[in-house]
Amino acid sequence: MDFTLYSQPPARVITPATAEDLADCLREASAAGSSVVPWGGGTRQGLGGPPTRYDLALSMSGLSRVVEYTPADLVISVEAGATLGMVQETLAPHGQWLPWDPPLPRRATVGGLLASGAGGMLRLGYGSPRDWTLGMRVALGDGRLVKSGSRVVKNVAGYDSHKLHIGALGTLGVIAEATFKVAPIPPRRQTLIAAFTTTKAPLEAIAQLRQPPFHPISMVILNDEAERAIPALHPFLRDHSHYLMVAVRFAGTAGAVARQIRAAVAHCVELGSRVIELNELDDAPIWEAIADFVQPTGDLMLRVGAPLGQQYEMIRLLEMTTRARGWATARMVIAGVGLAYARWPIAGVPAAALAAALAELRAGLATIGGYVVIEELPAAPGIDRDVLDVWGAPPETLALMRSLRAAWDPAGVLNPGRYLV
Amino acid sequence: MTRETLIAALQSAIGPTCVLHRPEELMLYEYDGSSLDQALPDVVVVPGSTAEVAAAVRAATGMGVPVVVRGAGTGLAGGTVPDRGGMVVSLARLNRVLSIDPASRTAVVQPGVVNTELSVAAAPYGMHFAPDPSSQRSSTVGGNAGSNAGGPHCLKYGVTTNHVLAATVVLADGSVVRLGSTVPDAPGYDLLGAVVGSEGTLGIITELTVRLTRNAEDVRTFLVIFDEMDAAGACVSAIIAAGIIPAALEMMSGEGIAAIEASVHAGYPPDARAVLLIEIDGLREDLADEARRIAEVCTASGARELRTAADSAQRERLWAGRKGALAACARIAPHYHIVDGVVPRSRLPEVLRYSEEVAARYDLKVVNIFHAGDGNLHPLLLFNLRVPGTRERAVAAGEEILRACVAAGGTISGEHGIGLEKRDYMSWLFSEDDLSAFADIRAVFDPTEMMNPGKLLRTGAPSADQAPTQAFRRTTERGAWI
Repeated sequence: MDFTLYSQPPARVITPATAEDLADCLREASAAGSSVVPWGGGTRQGLGGPPTRYDLALSMSGLSRVVEYTPADLVISVEAGATLGMVQETLAPHGQWLPWDPPLPRRATVGGLLASGAGGMLRLGYGSPRDWTLGMRVALGDGRLVKSGSRVVKNVAGYDSHKLHIGALGTLGVIAEATFKVAPIPPRRQTLIAAFTTTKAPLEAIAQLRQPPFHPISMVILNDEAERAIPALHPFLRDHSHYLMVAVRFAGTAGAVARQIRAAVAHCVELGSRVIELNELDDAPIWEAIADFVQPTGDLMLRVGAPLGQQYEMIRLLEMTTRARGWATARMVIAGVGLAYARWPIAGVPAAALAAALAELRAGLATIGGYVVIEELPAAPGIDRDVLDVWGAPPETLALMRSLRAAWDPAGVLNPGRYLV
Repeated sequence: MTRETLIAALQSAIGPTCVLHRPEELMLYEYDGSSLDQALPDVVVVPGSTAEVAAAVRAATGMGVPVVVRGAGTGLAGGTVPDRGGMVVSLARLNRVLSIDPASRTAVVQPGVVNTELSVAAAPYGMHFAPDPSSQRSSTVGGNAGSNAGGPHCLKYGVTTNHVLAATVVLADGSVVRLGSTVPDAPGYDLLGAVVGSEGTLGIITELTVRLTRNAEDVRTFLVIFDEMDAAGACVSAIIAAGIIPAALEMMSGEGIAAIEASVHAGYPPDARAVLLIEIDGLREDLADEARRIAEVCTASGARELRTAADSAQRERLWAGRKGALAACARIAPHYHIVDGVVPRSRLPEVLRYSEEVAARYDLKVVNIFHAGDGNLHPLLLFNLRVPGTRERAVAAGEEILRACVAAGGTISGEHGIGLEKRDYMSWLFSEDDLSAFADIRAVFDPTEMMNPGKLLRTGAPSADQAPTQAFRRTTERGAWI
């Protein structure tokens, strides 16, 4: 594996074989003041931008085993270097899954996905990985190997420290092992795809599909650039007109899914949907392809969050910022959740222009209580986090965050300069 | 610093009427729902706003006075007992539902709102607050968050932490922070995740934004009757192993069933050795399928009978039995020690059997009334305090059962919390390093350890009289079981 990060190779690569090894590595790195970049599958290293120093790449490939899995308990513990795909392959023969479908599951590791706060398309129906993570073993920056939570589905002993590591970009510790609650795979899953020509109609459709009797597990709105970027969707909308495409997924018994699909089709027709199509076979490949929209492509990838009551405004701001500049940007809204992803092409665009557009978008979102984060900062000349502000203004809890980081990574060796603290 | 100085400072900070200090006022705040320990606070404040909570906390901690937050006092682990004296902050006046947003399915509430009142307020929108601890008619949303409370329907819908999106928190120095967000994945450490379930040791929650859950299209409730407890336990394991996650899967065993029937007339057969209360909810086609599969598993597990609630009145009767179970057991013996262990669900039958063996060995009556689907055991060890030595036997038996839960790969508390009761059991699960990391979190929020000191973790100045058995003794001497 290549551990080059923003054209910078590490001085050394270390590959611990056990959680204890991992903790020892961090203890030594802390003592020596060597900066450490924890490395899982490398699929999300564009989050946070380049580190201020890069001495050690800490490869997690030696920690990739299933630690414990008792199908009858619906609980699995895995080492953090295991890929999510491997976890799903372990669960599937028992009719179970971890209902979490971030991009590139065959390469991305469980630890990396947790640390980078990777979401997925199933969030509407199943919540976020925070809801499914029961416990962790983590090597803290100072070399303590600590656990929190448990391997049972309910536990209130101790603080839920594992939640602190989700989305912390490895700045508090390196996840060594995670325990998840898992779920039975629903017997049938089916997807409806509808195309609309106005911005408001898909939002109205989404609003109706969140009302009884509907229980969609995933809903997305894609603009036509996004549809084009997802080849798996091309068979559905053959004429490639300027559509906004809504994909909605239902799960359950055949009867419950069929009733929802029938009613959803009726709603979409009433709202003026031009085309409605259904997948007849397994819809998993469609959703894997939609999830992979968020993978690194060389574009600037943004993640936008806004309150559910402000989804129209969120989309309008995304649209206006780029249209005024003549940029063709692909956009996907994770509907019913309050998240969106947008890809901004950077080829030929000066970094200063990108920075100005980002600042404008950020200011607009701030007025509706939203935020924007650079989910993937591509490695390109002139593109740097000195120019592009990855995280935006720090939250009001910054002092508490600093104090926590100082307690667990006192030497500040973990991913320095890549996070808010 | 004298107590009089503190009272005067608080009176000037938040006004005299909301500062309670007369002995008869303080006595109402010396216990929680466990009767594990009792201790009088020096003063109680009943603030009416976040600003007043902050002012009171600032005044107290500035004088080195510890602060204990209290909702309805239904806790079962001694978490709100002011065992080191100091100031109790009652959130009883912060009891308003501030807003409900049906579009985003969220509610903004003050912490003193009673759990069921929130669901009542959400009912016109076809929604409810999913966490449903059995204390829900008196326990508060703030207290539920503080202890990360569970309840029967948490099997499908998750515990309180899964339903709290944001909180306003007063820290030990009187500063106010806003944690979490209704906007998903906003950048920053998930400090809210640490605060929920922190039992008042990190700060005082003065406002919460919680998730509301849409009411299900349809509900079905079953009572499954068993002549053998092993078969009932095995049936629970088999339902989960079959990949069926009901909305609730509760079990009641032994003499408790007859006691419940005598007390509540819920329709349980008094001669049953064990009953399961199973509820499924969702779309009606899914329910038909789940009902059929559950019936198959129950039959294969040797159930004597499976009854289906014919209407909502029958359903409510069945649930009244479960929710009134604790009180009904007073018919068997006047006092109880409730255990709150969790085991992997495949290990239920053996640990259930073991809990009965332990109770027999200690010559105690035991009734298991618990969240079987989660593997969350609640053996109720029943006794009469007037019989010398029984309380010690109950505590010792509870400890043995919890050790068995840990040995089976489980934990020492599923929902009631650590508080005072289980602080010394934490080392069964956690190493020195694990506990030091918890202590670090505490120090980040509360460097001088003023917020509920000594609860959850044994830190700070230890006092000699905190062993649970001694606490029991004090309680007995005062004859004040509730």
